[in-house]
Amino acid sequence: MFVYEKKLQYPVNIKNPNPALAKIIISQYGGPDGELGASLRYLSQRYTVPYPEVKAVLTDIGTEELGHLEMVGTIVYQLTKGLTVEEIKAAGLDAYFVDHTAGIYPSAASGVPFSAAAMQVKGDPITDIHEDLAAEQKARVTYDNILRFCDDPDVIDPIRFLRQREIVHYQRFGEAMRTKCNGLVMVMNTYKLIFVSEMLSLWKELCIMLYLVIYILHNHCLLT
Amino acid sequence: MTERAILLKKLSAVEFAAHELHIYLDTHPDDVSAGKAMNEYDRQANALRLEFESKFGPLTPGEDGNRWAWISDPWPWNNQED
Repeated sequence: MFVYEKKLQYPVNIKNPNPALAKIIISQYGGPDGELGASLRYLSQRYTVPYPEVKAVLTDIGTEELGHLEMVGTIVYQLTKGLTVEEIKAAGLDAYFVDHTAGIYPSAASGVPFSAAAMQVKGDPITDIHEDLAAEQKARVTYDNILRFCDDPDVIDPIRFLRQREIVHYQRFGEAMRTKCNGLVMVMNTYKLIFVSEMLSLWKELCIMLYLVIYILHNHCLLT
Repeated sequence: MTERAILLKKLSAVEFAAHELHIYLDTHPDDVSAGKAMNEYDRQANALRLEFESKFGPLTPGEDGNRWAWISDPWPWNNQED
């Protein structure tokens, strides 16, 4: 179950509304690489994961993402407070306003409503963690792109915090992967196959060994 | 900044340190020194949470206390410095 805490993970106190900025930042609320998708992805993937470290990481990071969703919603809310019709029109927020007024609706910056089609729950730990590593990087790039349009320190500060969290989560998923899902386990499985099939010549075995060494080195470089 | 905003920021900083160590410990469950550091931050966070709640109302719905304080502003999405 979940217990609500009546506070943000990191403070958001924006003095000046800025509808143009709200229009792009909403993408991290309900866009393809946003916080809603992130929390749903991790909290849904965790059920079928067989490893204790990975269950914990998916649960704890999935929960933190719900806190980030609340922070992004807060940023959009404070950026769109007390606007006049002229300000809404000038910022191009009129198309959003006609459907949602100043409500916080999960959609991408393009206006496309939130969709679970941008995420995957494959039920296979290696596949799911790779998806999660990619998701953290996609969200990090989105925050980088948002920062290109920001000149208000009240907005830059919490966005930088959220960007930094993507990097830490990427690190934790990488460790979860290394701990449980690659390297030794895969080598042992491949060896079992080799011994079972007596048809394999020594030469083939050497080729497979070489391939595994390259595979592990490659993975190691990617995840360190 | 108001006294409330200052105390909230202090609490959030300590809670964050505890949380960061908590997810680190998910993948490093045998790191004793990180575990000790997390317990220390948790202890500080609990003390700050009690201080905050006694002054400004409950942070979680389960605690007994002033029901009016729970339903009242500011909510997290309100500017805490207004």
